Amino acid sequence: MIPDFSVPRRQHPVGMAILAVKFSWRTLSTFWPIFIGLSLAEIGWRHYAAIALVFIGVVASAIVYYLRFRYHVASDALIVERGLIQRERLQIPFDRIQAVQLFQGPIQQLAGLTGLRVDTAGSSGSELELLAVHRSEAEGLQEHLRRRMENVEPPEETNGEETGAVGTSGHQRDEGEPLVALDVPNLMKVGLSQNHLKSAFISLAVVMSFFQGLEDRMVVWLNGLPAMVQAVLGLATVFLILPGIMLFLLLGVLTSVALAVLRYWRLKSRLDGEGLKLEMGLFRRNAFEVPFKKIHLTEWNSNWIRRQLGFETLRIRQAQAQSGSGGLRVFIPAVEPVHRAAMEAALYPDLESHRGIEFRPAGRLRWLLWLVALLPAGAVLFVPATENLALAAVWTGFVYWTTGRRFASLRMSVHRDAIVLERGWFWKTRVLLKMSQLQGVEWKRNALLERRGIGHLVFHTAAGARSFRYMRREDGVGIRDAALHRLHSMHPGPGIVQ
Amino acid sequence: MAMAEANPQINLEDVPRLDDVTFLPVSRKYFRMRMAFWGVVQLMTFGAVMSPFVARAFVDDGRLDEFTGWWWPLAALVTWAALWFLEEWKGFERRGYAVREHDVTYRTGWFFRNTTTVPFGMIQHSELSQGPISRALGLNHLKIFTAGGSGNLRIAGLDEEEAQQLRSVIEVRTQR
Repeated sequence: MIPDFSVPRRQHPVGMAILAVKFSWRTLSTFWPIFIGLSLAEIGWRHYAAIALVFIGVVASAIVYYLRFRYHVASDALIVERGLIQRERLQIPFDRIQAVQLFQGPIQQLAGLTGLRVDTAGSSGSELELLAVHRSEAEGLQEHLRRRMENVEPPEETNGEETGAVGTSGHQRDEGEPLVALDVPNLMKVGLSQNHLKSAFISLAVVMSFFQGLEDRMVVWLNGLPAMVQAVLGLATVFLILPGIMLFLLLGVLTSVALAVLRYWRLKSRLDGEGLKLEMGLFRRNAFEVPFKKIHLTEWNSNWIRRQLGFETLRIRQAQAQSGSGGLRVFIPAVEPVHRAAMEAALYPDLESHRGIEFRPAGRLRWLLWLVALLPAGAVLFVPATENLALAAVWTGFVYWTTGRRFASLRMSVHRDAIVLERGWFWKTRVLLKMSQLQGVEWKRNALLERRGIGHLVFHTAAGARSFRYMRREDGVGIRDAALHRLHSMHPGPGIVQ
Repeated sequence: MAMAEANPQINLEDVPRLDDVTFLPVSRKYFRMRMAFWGVVQLMTFGAVMSPFVARAFVDDGRLDEFTGWWWPLAALVTWAALWFLEEWKGFERRGYAVREHDVTYRTGWFFRNTTTVPFGMIQHSELSQGPISRALGLNHLKIFTAGGSGNLRIAGLDEEEAQQLRSVIEVRTQR
């Protein structure tokens, strides 16, 4: 019962309510200084009338917007017509679509509807957002678009010969292989292993901005108290420092957990032949469908605590807009080793079949890192004293060890198509990209490094640049040439983009 | 699939080496344009640094004599100007582009050296741009855009004819 998408159609009527809320919010956030001004002035009936008028205007514009908004699927593009005075016809060719995402805010969840967002690699603003569509209809449209996206792509692009089992599917669409699914205990683990200090500061900033006037009122209140009570209170605050710190940390942990619950509630993901499917969120539920071909970069992050729990965070990046911003970024927390293996087997099949050649930065980098880390110790020595000398010595030893670990963690391995960049020992990062998706390669160095035969290799991908620094010239230049050679043999003839 | 075995290690001998290409220089007029820009910036900063001396000449009431640190900015300015000049002068000799069968490479810089290669297959579109000064000199800048924008290339200071030629080469190669 999937409707016919080739006829122009409107969204579900509940969309009007969502639009009204959205427009009101936008009006409020644009004209908030006026409202603040109003709250200071004496408010008469005129003001109420004006506010009511504005509100009616906003609602009316939401209704008009709704009525004038139509979308349909043509033979080669998704087409949207909208606008009353300035009419607009938006055309999104299928091969430009990066991902189709479903989302459900509170209103949509109540009404059993869903929003649908189509991300493109073009400049921002060319994305399409439908606010209210029946779930089944949206899924139908998602499916429909996905099939069209695939048909447009030339078959060579799936890396046919080497993907083997993965790339050639598409005949039978099974449910695919389940990937990460977060139950409540795992969700708690994710929340508890986040950076609490950061969360604490975020929540503190929110609280502070909320109670901006509080301080002044406190001072007024304190001045009104008898001197005796003031002294006792002053003494009491000293004892409050430790509980205050505890409270601050607790706040951080609570915020972390709350954020994790909001973002990753009932996270479900699975892999199928063509891509990754993902669903998560509490109040705003997002469902992504990301085709493998449109993934330009994957990044694995983990800190020491997460690793003890056997977790890593996966970030998936798609092509970004020319401005350097935008582009869908999907985060999946709590990826276990099994999931990582499945994900990498699907996305980078050559990692398994081909051992890869490993590269490390030039030894010079180790001493450079140490030298930079030594700077604070140098500052301490400006005030020569025995304690400072001891402090500097301890610091020197400590950073010798940490920079040694850091240097040892820097690694690049080059496979047949995939390139793996690894760095970090406490906070580990592992970046994977494909030679066949590179947008450009850069060899970068300054004259001093050139003399030593060292330089930095920069990989420009559609999702941003990643580099491997301080490599030996013959290695770096060799990898560059090999990558370009690979690119040209993958895309013979004038080209395929994205 | 037995594909994995049919996957020999890449033999770097067979891979065409980018280092073997010869780079074509951009127009000499572009050097003059860059030097003019250098001159204007130097003049303006020099004016800003010298303004206290000028001020002292006009209001000679002794108040400004207490400041002796004015020579430091001047020394810094001269050093900076010299280094920048060196970079422009030496760097221009290295500035150039090379077009191969499947890609275009641009090389810049003397102290900070960059060699960036963009495959034709990944170019989204290209653009010729010209400011008023470069128009007067008959120069063109060719901008090459790739997806994501991180690999964008700007080959500046091409002669009109050369720019058109390069652009048509790129257009033919990227045609879809």
